[in-house]
Amino acid sequence: MTTRTTTPKARSRALALLAGVALLGAPRAAAAQWVTTYEQIYLQAPHNWEFRNRYQGADRLFNAFDYGHAILYETLWTRPTAPASALEEREYDYLTKQVLVRPPRVPLEEGAIAVRYAQLAPEAKQMFDWAHILHRQIYDVLADDRLSQEAKDGEVARLLAYYKSRPDLAFSSRPKSMVLMQEQPYSLAFRQRYPKFNGLIWAYHWLQVGLYEPLLVGTTSDARQGGVRATVARFWQMLADPPRTLPHQMPMTAAIAPEFARRYAEAAIIFDNLHSMHDVISDILANDSVPRGRKRAEIQLAARRYRDDTSFVMASEAAWRTMARHMGVENMGGPSVNFLAALPTPTVSYGAVMRHDDRTGEMLGLSYGKLIGGHGAHGAAAADTIAATPPEAARDARGAARPSAEPGQPLHDSAAGHGAQMMELHERMMADPVIRRRMMADTAMRRALREMVEAMPPEQRAEHEAHVRAMEREAADATSQAPRPATRRSGAARRASTPAKPKPAPTRPPADPHAGHKP
Amino acid sequence: MSHHVTHLPHDPPRPRGRTAPPAGAMAGALLALALGATALPAQTDYYNTDAGRPIQVEDAYAVERRAVELQVAPLRLERSHGGVYAWGVEPEVAVGLLPRTQVELGFPLAYVDLGSAGRRAGLAGIDLSVLHNLNTETRIPALAVAADVVVPVGSLAADRAYASVKGIATRTFPWARFHANGQYTFGDEPSDGDGALGGGVAELSRWMAGLAVDRTLPLRSLLMTGEVTLRQPLADEADAEWSGGAGARYQLSPRVAGDAGGGYRFTGDDRGWFVTFGAAVALGLPWGGR
Repeated sequence: MTTRTTTPKARSRALALLAGVALLGAPRAAAAQWVTTYEQIYLQAPHNWEFRNRYQGADRLFNAFDYGHAILYETLWTRPTAPASALEEREYDYLTKQVLVRPPRVPLEEGAIAVRYAQLAPEAKQMFDWAHILHRQIYDVLADDRLSQEAKDGEVARLLAYYKSRPDLAFSSRPKSMVLMQEQPYSLAFRQRYPKFNGLIWAYHWLQVGLYEPLLVGTTSDARQGGVRATVARFWQMLADPPRTLPHQMPMTAAIAPEFARRYAEAAIIFDNLHSMHDVISDILANDSVPRGRKRAEIQLAARRYRDDTSFVMASEAAWRTMARHMGVENMGGPSVNFLAALPTPTVSYGAVMRHDDRTGEMLGLSYGKLIGGHGAHGAAAADTIAATPPEAARDARGAARPSAEPGQPLHDSAAGHGAQMMELHERMMADPVIRRRMMADTAMRRALREMVEAMPPEQRAEHEAHVRAMEREAADATSQAPRPATRRSGAARRASTPAKPKPAPTRPPADPHAGHKP
Repeated sequence: MSHHVTHLPHDPPRPRGRTAPPAGAMAGALLALALGATALPAQTDYYNTDAGRPIQVEDAYAVERRAVELQVAPLRLERSHGGVYAWGVEPEVAVGLLPRTQVELGFPLAYVDLGSAGRRAGLAGIDLSVLHNLNTETRIPALAVAADVVVPVGSLAADRAYASVKGIATRTFPWARFHANGQYTFGDEPSDGDGALGGGVAELSRWMAGLAVDRTLPLRSLLMTGEVTLRQPLADEADAEWSGGAGARYQLSPRVAGDAGGGYRFTGDDRGWFVTFGAAVALGLPWGGR
């Protein structure tokens, strides 16, 4: 064993070196903590607080959502070693049984709830606050019965300009790839360890974007009131049996609220980016593989990427819409208007990660999770599979995320292999007038059919469009001749719960749009 | 901020009278402006404390950029140890003109009963102040600097202007938030005969140091606060005065916050208690947006 001795001179040098390093490092560390972001009040306008005045119940729910977001981040940051039950049971129960049931009267001061998180990442907090202001101001515009649709369009444009006047806070209005959210080194940790809470956040986001749709498609004040009530009721329905009944994918605005996304695409993209970054921050905070000393830097990096117009950008707005469609609205909680009584059955396991082509938005396969019984899985067995998946995933999710629990499946290749069979099956089904009527009565299926036709090659599209039009005429004729059900939803529910017996195709269907495809 | 000369050393005995809001056109106009604000709603914040609402020590944050905050008739009632009651009201408007910066204008209005000398009512100066927040709190506390000048305008104002500078720090913990304020006032000691001024909304001193703690109930949008302050009157020979106060701020609606508080001056010539009530309405600047 050797003993090292140091002379006083050497010790002095070492101390001087240490002091020098400390002096050099200290200002840098202090500079990293010197933050000058600031708050800004929302755009002053006559429609301010109109949503609060007209839709008090929904408005208060949003106040409660503020609490949910804040307590989530605070818990993840301040109690990293707490058991998952701290969020999954205690906070979840408190939120769903107390805060959401008796939501706060006024918007909350999140800095008073997420004290430590606000000190960790004040810039990200300000980004969220600024985007939430845009959220609320657009509700106000759409809720204002005094404004014509053209005036509303103008006001939304003005709000977007105001929002973008803070480039230090504004999310990009270019659609971001899901790679930024789901395929980073820290990704998936939150959804795996806290499936219920993650699903609750997705349900929040479903309502936050979904509520635009009844405000937009309702043509009268009464219709808007009724639509908002129905959409809020749907949100509550999602909380019935978590996480099975909660969204299984991040709700995308183009899928949940297609009319809003069509009319105000820029705002819809901003909100998708906002909700995506919510998930990213949850993952960074929840993932032990990101050292605590790195979390602020990772959050700042993610925030920069969500603000800029160049990182992880999809090729086009069309690609963003395609991506939303391929993710499946049934996996996001379903559409926010004109839905059936029952929640849609997801077709992927909880929190599955789809890979998409950033140029087209088309799904390439799954890198995590699995399809549940394929696209036809709408039964109880599929639902059971869904319910069983998240807790198992959660148990082994502590620490680094599993980048690929199941290797990606080239779904499109697989689908192509069965394309001819699928088409044949489709045509035989469409030959049945009962199925046709049911399809036309279900707006989600109807929309899916239209979108499918739009995606067809031009040489086939015209023919199929004619078929769809014929089916719509047929459905309209049937509706005008048949007695109307008491309500649209109850009628749809009845149809859904009592499936008609399959009938043989009629020998001479007078208005069969698919007659030409029959063998 | 709300500071104006109220009770200068070498004053004649403190006015044995009451100060009350005058029925002046200025007060009426301010009140009308505030009430008319419902047509232009915006958000105010119970969490962003302001000097005098309800305690003297304030936090290190300015009002939001482009926000206009109207302090609607903040009322203060004092009772000195001699049993004399004094009333004061100081309408204020604060504007977030620049990032992290607010400019504030206060109009301390006074009604003074001077006993045999009669009663006087009027403006006790104009209080102009600027507060600039230096940083948002991280591991580093939030810091701010403020400058304030009381302009000798009005029948009850001092005969000279007084300027002050102030430093503010705020540190937040999950269980409480702490604020430290230190203030220094420039200017000569007032000569004998400088009026008994103002309504006692706050007192200008050679220096003041204060520490406050507040606790928030975020789901109720309620903040409870308490403070201890030590101030040295402008007259060098006067003793430093210890005071304590407590109060609450409450968000009444998205755009209106109310406050109420009280306190006690433990030492000095003017021991006694005070209570204060007020409300603030916040608007956005009606123009621009870029």
